[in-house]
Amino acid sequence: MSARFVLLFCLSLCNVAHAEARVKLNLQCVSFGDGPVLECIVQLQTAKDAPLSGAMVTLNAHMPAMPMAHGVKPSAAIATNQPGEYRGQLHLEMPGVWAIQVDVSSPKRDRLVRRLLVEPCEKDKRCVAKATTSKPGNP
Amino acid sequence: MFAEHAIGVASDIGIMSLLALSAYLMLLVGRISFGQQAFFGIGAYVSGIASAMTHWPLTLAVFTGMLVGALASFLVALPTMHLSGFRYAVATFAFGEMVRLGLQSWHFQQETSDGPIGPAGVDGFRDIRWLLENDVSPAQYLMMIAIVLALILFIFGWLERRKSGVALRMTGHDDVLAATQGLPVTRLRLFAATAAGALAALGGGLYAHRATYIEPALFDPMLGVHAVGYALIGGLGTCFGPLLGVVFDLGLLEATRIFAGWRMVVFGLLVALFLRWRPRGLLDEALVHRLAQAYRAWSNASR
Repeated sequence: MSARFVLLFCLSLCNVAHAEARVKLNLQCVSFGDGPVLECIVQLQTAKDAPLSGAMVTLNAHMPAMPMAHGVKPSAAIATNQPGEYRGQLHLEMPGVWAIQVDVSSPKRDRLVRRLLVEPCEKDKRCVAKATTSKPGNP
Repeated sequence: MFAEHAIGVASDIGIMSLLALSAYLMLLVGRISFGQQAFFGIGAYVSGIASAMTHWPLTLAVFTGMLVGALASFLVALPTMHLSGFRYAVATFAFGEMVRLGLQSWHFQQETSDGPIGPAGVDGFRDIRWLLENDVSPAQYLMMIAIVLALILFIFGWLERRKSGVALRMTGHDDVLAATQGLPVTRLRLFAATAAGALAALGGGLYAHRATYIEPALFDPMLGVHAVGYALIGGLGTCFGPLLGVVFDLGLLEATRIFAGWRMVVFGLLVALFLRWRPRGLLDEALVHRLAQAYRAWSNASR
């Protein structure tokens, strides 16, 4: 075991988390086809509301009702022509409530999670996946 | 991308192994608990609050979650441990649901510059960001989980070779016989329940920080049933049995997606088949004994 891991472990004994400026996320997804497939538009902004371009964005999803089961393969979201906007697809195993995880690995690591209700969609249709929050103020 | 996915699956296996070990410990003393997910959830929420809201260091936050999980498990075991196996299973199931429903109604948020943070009922608890804020990579966190799991397995291995370990196993095999041999059956079971609660809460604390987001739906009975299933499939002969169960389910069925959406059905079928034909799992006491004998014979021959 390298000294680095021992150092990291010791660091976790005394290192206190500090608040950092967060990346802001606007997530819009539609579902279609078998699975279904979830196509998402990810809009990222810095804490000062400037578009966050040039980021490495990965989408992932899991079903909260089935922890550590029905996970999907993570997929990279590709930058679109719009500044701070990325597009990616996830192949889900079934409709239901999914926690969509947006991982930003560059320029700064961050993770943002949104709960979406992915409903079964008729063939050739695209259905909007709605956010499932009990309070309008919650993201 | 593949490496990230593999690290994620390996981390889940490590975390789930802790929950499976907690169910295994209860099975060792002859009690089936369908409520270990509650202690997992308690550990997740308590450690999440400690690190995200009160800004405690990770180790202290997870340790606090463990302590609260152990205390909760002890308090549940105190009035329920005298119940027979089936009734104990129902009682723990009911407790698990009580905790989950309680978390659904629990709001305990504080305002920050980035918005409210803390448990928000069914909307869950977001932004448990200790790993991100301290720049701990998923690979480094996996190493931390592996170290914790190795330590727990070492303690299990050490305990199982001692008199107290044998006493725990005797209690599970035949509590009347164990009592006539002078063993403090109730005290041993209380110890096992407390330690199992701490283990499950430890797993929950590690999970909360890995996922950064938790919600009450995560801690539903399915999680507890899986934990028991892992121990039953992997085997009760050694502490490596539950790990085998987890690796089989999460590492083989889930990660490779051999059965895709049918994984849960296959897992349920396997549990039923094992209960019928191999009730103490793959690595049961007899097989572990045979393996130990074969190893001793091989090491003697190679000298």
